[in-house]
Amino acid sequence: MSDLSSDPEGILKRGWSAEVSDYAIAGGWLRRGAALVVGDAAGGVYVFKGKSGATAWCQEEVHDGGILAMAVRPRGEHFATAGQEGRVLFWDVADAKVTRAIDVGNAWVEKLAWSPDGKWLAVACGRQVRVYDVKGEQVWHSDDHASTVSAVAWASADELATACYGQVTFYGASNGELRQKLEWKGSLVSMVLSPDGDIVACGSQDNTVHFWRRSTGEDSMMSGYPGKPSALAFDGAGTLLATGGAESVTVWSFHNGGPEGTHPGVLKLHVKPVTTLAFARRGMRLASGGRDGGVVVWSMKQDGQGGAVGAALVTGVLSQLYWRPDGQALAAIDGDGGVTVWRTK
Amino acid sequence: MNMPQKVPVTILTGFLGSGKTTLLNRILSEEHGKRIAVIENEYGEVGIDQALVIDADEEIFEMSNGCICCTVRGDLIRVLSNLMKRRDKFDYVLVETTGLADPGPVAQTFFMDDEIREEFSLDGIVTLVDAAHIDQQLGRSDESTEQVAFADVLVLNKTDLVSDETVDDLETRLKDMNRMARVVRSKQADVPVDTVLNLDAFNLDDVLERKPTFLEPEYPFEWTGVYSLKSGRYELNLAEGPDPEMSLVIAGNQGSDDAALREGAEWCVRRYAEPPEHLQPNDDIPLWEHVNLHLEASGRKSFFLVVEEDQDVGLYTQHTAEEFDIELKTEDGTVIPPGAERTWVAQHEHDDEVGSIAIEADGDVDADKLNDWIGELLRERGVDIFRMKGFISIADEPRRFVFQGVHMLFDSQPDRAWGNTPRRNQLVFIGRNLDEMSMREGFEACLI
Repeated sequence: MSDLSSDPEGILKRGWSAEVSDYAIAGGWLRRGAALVVGDAAGGVYVFKGKSGATAWCQEEVHDGGILAMAVRPRGEHFATAGQEGRVLFWDVADAKVTRAIDVGNAWVEKLAWSPDGKWLAVACGRQVRVYDVKGEQVWHSDDHASTVSAVAWASADELATACYGQVTFYGASNGELRQKLEWKGSLVSMVLSPDGDIVACGSQDNTVHFWRRSTGEDSMMSGYPGKPSALAFDGAGTLLATGGAESVTVWSFHNGGPEGTHPGVLKLHVKPVTTLAFARRGMRLASGGRDGGVVVWSMKQDGQGGAVGAALVTGVLSQLYWRPDGQALAAIDGDGGVTVWRTK
Repeated sequence: MNMPQKVPVTILTGFLGSGKTTLLNRILSEEHGKRIAVIENEYGEVGIDQALVIDADEEIFEMSNGCICCTVRGDLIRVLSNLMKRRDKFDYVLVETTGLADPGPVAQTFFMDDEIREEFSLDGIVTLVDAAHIDQQLGRSDESTEQVAFADVLVLNKTDLVSDETVDDLETRLKDMNRMARVVRSKQADVPVDTVLNLDAFNLDDVLERKPTFLEPEYPFEWTGVYSLKSGRYELNLAEGPDPEMSLVIAGNQGSDDAALREGAEWCVRRYAEPPEHLQPNDDIPLWEHVNLHLEASGRKSFFLVVEEDQDVGLYTQHTAEEFDIELKTEDGTVIPPGAERTWVAQHEHDDEVGSIAIEADGDVDADKLNDWIGELLRERGVDIFRMKGFISIADEPRRFVFQGVHMLFDSQPDRAWGNTPRRNQLVFIGRNLDEMSMREGFEACLI
């Protein structure tokens, strides 16, 4: 582990900070980093200029009961928000306005995900997942899952994955055709897919990480976590799987036939459980945020070992971390409504 | 970062038609100054606008290890984790379960999930009981038995639909099953809100204040009289009473203060566990032995007692002196009044498999021994132990430890300092087919 004692911030150079009015739930970089959008628990949507942090525009109380999910469409010209009142809103960044409002149902809308090609928006509401086109027209919806859908992710532009209690399910993107079911008795609380869509990893309520290799049908369970691994992240090459579930970050390497039978990298610096993990799109930089308000950037190696190269503190519990698409800046949003951006040289 | 106060959560359980929604509406209308979130698993008519009402399907998540004690309610985790993010947090959360809900997973959620445990505290479990129907339900369904067993408060509702006698019997039956719970009677769930909210249910002091006999152990005898006797021969004279026989132990060197009586009682419990010697009228009663007096004959009957040295003796009788008009006389027929007497809470038959065990002991316990004992008890019997709570005096610890548990999950923390108050231990277990004697002995072995 690197010694950051002489320069704790390391590569994290403070850029700007701003505030939203309540717990910052979700966000994302817009227009290749020219702006940052953040949604909060009071239902507000805030857009900040990427360089200065000045407020470009904001609209408060757009979701009654608060925002639960947000997803930025690839290329960053549009995004979608969802809330407790059961609505999904389509936003246009340039016009700063809602282009479409959809009443999805009576349940909370908790998960949103745009397909990698930006053609489809997956929406999880209660036990169903629905897919909409860019205009906001519903294309298909799934049958009821075994429980409320806990995660949605795109395996490819052509295929959607959902997680719930006991199961991961794959659907064809355009028609909802059932492609594959991966079953395991446990409450899956988080899900991430490798960039090629082959490896599916899920954190489970019983403090384990379960993963499947779809091409070979193999599956494995990683146990020993003291808490539930709700934060998961794959690096851009699909080699490293970083997992939370404790004060330390556990990193499994799929290099050379791993991670079965190998020792994971264990990254220790946080003093409270890790809440969010994000790899920069390229290279081997991993950012972690915790309940302690700590943000740490780690430089990783292919075997899963790594060292801290930058660390900073914010006041709130870390909610999410977003690398700017060029990897040259990192945004953190937190439970006190703080929005903080660092340049990372 | 500052540590925010945990938000209290009350769970309302009870069969369909027992009055959960009525009680819920009453709470919401009376607690209108508070921000209350209601999580409902069953459609009900919640008629109060300012409360946030969230309908959530009951989602029971079992773990891959198959342990029922690890089963949690996924819907609660999901909804509560979102609620706790709001800056204008809720003052209170009410969870209304379905009629058939098993309270175990609901309660376990507040122990098992780290994030939930950090932000919320389980204030209490309130179970509504329909006085007109519970008798049949208890026989037929595990859910209804478990809802009673898990409760901190039992609201015995719709008492106007049955006779007073039925209500009394029901209350006795419910208390047999769950001695920890407070029983409140109502007609239309019209109970004062402070009997169901902010119970801080794990605060045993409060429980004791409300119901002084709560932890009173049960004894196989109902009465003790202490008599000051010179050496000599005495007559124990009894009238006809409610039973054709009566058990008795006479202890020698009996003190008269409360501590001495309790000590004598504990000793006599063990004598009572031994088979009695059967005595006919005019037989001599030996000291220190469990005897059974045969009283079938009509009229008053006499037994005799020989005291070798001057001493106080304690008569521990199965029934009260009043019931048999018990008199102790000298040989010349002078009636000796008892110098001290007291009555005990009598044991009665427990019909239900589910019952309560209360253990009380003065002094300190050895922390390691206690951990081993609790650990083993929960490993072996955790499935059958629904609830437990109490406080413990750990040796060399200036503060008392309070603990609570649900099935195998156990949580203990230091509470206020003992100061000048006498150090003692109180534990209550509610469970199915628990072996009281072995649990009592197990705990006593932990005492220093």
